[in-house]
Amino acid sequence: MARVIIRGISVSTGFAIGKAVFVNRRHRSELPRQTIQPALVAEEEARLREAFATVEAELAIARDRIPAELKEHKHILDSHLMILKDPKLAGAAVRCIRELGVNAEWALEKAVAELEKAFGVLDDLYIRERLQDVRVMSDRVMARLLGTVRELLAVEGRVIIMAHDLTPADTVALEVSKIMGFATAQGGKTSHTGIMARTLGIPALVGVSELEDAVNDGDLVIMDGVGARILVDPDEDELAEFNELADQFEDYQRRIYRGCQLPAETIDGYRVQVLANIELIEEVAAVLDNGGEGIGLYRTEYSYLNRIDLPQEDELADKYSDLAAIMSPRKVIFRTLDLGSDKTIASFGTLEEANPAMGLRAIRFCMQHPELFKTQLKAIARASAYGNVSIMFPMISGLREVRRAKAKLREAQEELRAEGKRFNQDMPIGIMIELPAAVMIANLLAEEVDFFSIGTNDLIQYSVGIDRTNPHVSYLYQPLHPAILRSIKHVVDEAHQAGIEASLCGEVASDPFCVPILMGMQIDCISLSPQAIPGIKRIIRQARMSECKALLREVLACRTVGKINRLVRDTIFNKYPEELTFFASLLDNDDLGG
Amino acid sequence: MCELTATTDSAAAAAELCVRQVLVANQLGLHARPASQIAREAQAFAAKIIIEGQGQSVDAKSILDILTLSAAQGSTLEIRASGADAAQAVDRLTELFAAKFGEK
Repeated sequence: MARVIIRGISVSTGFAIGKAVFVNRRHRSELPRQTIQPALVAEEEARLREAFATVEAELAIARDRIPAELKEHKHILDSHLMILKDPKLAGAAVRCIRELGVNAEWALEKAVAELEKAFGVLDDLYIRERLQDVRVMSDRVMARLLGTVRELLAVEGRVIIMAHDLTPADTVALEVSKIMGFATAQGGKTSHTGIMARTLGIPALVGVSELEDAVNDGDLVIMDGVGARILVDPDEDELAEFNELADQFEDYQRRIYRGCQLPAETIDGYRVQVLANIELIEEVAAVLDNGGEGIGLYRTEYSYLNRIDLPQEDELADKYSDLAAIMSPRKVIFRTLDLGSDKTIASFGTLEEANPAMGLRAIRFCMQHPELFKTQLKAIARASAYGNVSIMFPMISGLREVRRAKAKLREAQEELRAEGKRFNQDMPIGIMIELPAAVMIANLLAEEVDFFSIGTNDLIQYSVGIDRTNPHVSYLYQPLHPAILRSIKHVVDEAHQAGIEASLCGEVASDPFCVPILMGMQIDCISLSPQAIPGIKRIIRQARMSECKALLREVLACRTVGKINRLVRDTIFNKYPEELTFFASLLDNDDLGG
Repeated sequence: MCELTATTDSAAAAAELCVRQVLVANQLGLHARPASQIAREAQAFAAKIIIEGQGQSVDAKSILDILTLSAAQGSTLEIRASGADAAQAVDRLTELFAAKFGEK
């Protein structure tokens, strides 16, 4: 048995066996206070200043190395640099050394603690973010002082990178060819580490809270990106088992990858479009490599986060047009801003909302900030001149919202016309169906738009009234709940009735257990993370429409989710036993009762 | 508007003190975004730059410091800079205030 097994959230799948190397750690809070002899105070001060200067130089280099398509990360680094140069932080620490005659580490810690005390009481998102910057930066300086910094470029051999947290500055400095995996104590599903790891095709776990306590530098570890765990000091049997698994996985990956550029067509000739969900333009390479036929969901929020100012129309239009042009003639669907109480823009401040998920977000937020909305609409419309661009509005609850959003788009297009800028007047317009209200009036909404995109992650949460991140009720997050299946089917049927396309872009689209059922409903298009495309395409290519329809009929006749899950699992597993070994299914941890 | 207060006759650049009054004209006052603009611009100058107002005096190069000022629309502040490029620094910061930090 391994010495210890720790768990986290898998943000990139696969297996890796290697030596753990920590690039940073949360430093222990009990830093010793040492008295510095008066004669050596100046030297101590210089030591601190030098640590600050070194980190600043490192960051400046990292900033210049950031490729153009990762412009967003520049803003994070700019903000870090500003804090690093802030006299309040460095100055306060220096004063502390001088006045109290203490060591640099203790002085720095005291300066940070005082800032946190002074600003911590302010309930302002922007200030909280700057305090985080202060923490991140002082940790880096502290690591310099303590000599616990590892020269990333000097890392020997192939390693698994571990860290308290990885910032873009850290990852830019890594030599990627030597890295077999990432694990961080902090971070969530959407963290930068995940995007990086998926791009590199290596496993990554985030939110491994016990990481720093359980793993030492140089420990041999097994990273299990499928099971979301890390085995520390594994025994011979485990090593053999995972070596075998890693081989099988690689073999399987190679096999599915080989067929990934083939069309997603069933044996009996039913064709589904398989598109990709992306957040950053740099993911386009992964989309094309994995056989994505287009972008079914471009999440546009990223350009707005982690920066102080708002992106301007030209900046957005450039970026959007690049994406449209690279993908052309393939489709790119831009989802307009889905920001609100949980993801906020610095310049708009925060709202006091008891229930952010049900608050002023997405289309509602945009309608409240017409200038912000128009800037984005104009940028998307301008991109439509360069490729096959569609637009869709999130969180639509009724007809009036769609009509108002469309009117705004018209307005934006009129302005472009007056300015003599080109755009595609017939850019298809769609809406996200993610609220039960929208499901119920799908027939009315279908008259207003060119396509539907069903967002199952939110639809499930709003339908059963739960927050899936709340561990007390997350067991109710059941994609195959009869109500959810009926909702999806209803929306698809209404779309087809009206002669428009129905697509689906939640996690369900990458779940091998759910996809055959969606096929049975004759979904036109599914959109999923690029890395999941080859596996799902292979499942579709081995399926028969007649079987999918039969499965759907059976499933719809079941009265409970437990029964459906059992039925689906048996059916699918019999058909694709090998396929499923390496797929994490939403159904995996189901309580099969009920 | 700069007053040269030559304390010694040595280097001319030594002690130029530049003072100017500015008005917080933007609707939202000196919130996070303008504060970061000021700090970023100020950090580019060698001069020591102080902003005074509401009985407080803060370092213009420190966003953390400026944020404690919480100056609302309509308040008057004083920028005081000393050092070689004091005049340019005051000019640049005054421009920011005059342009309402690109806001309304």
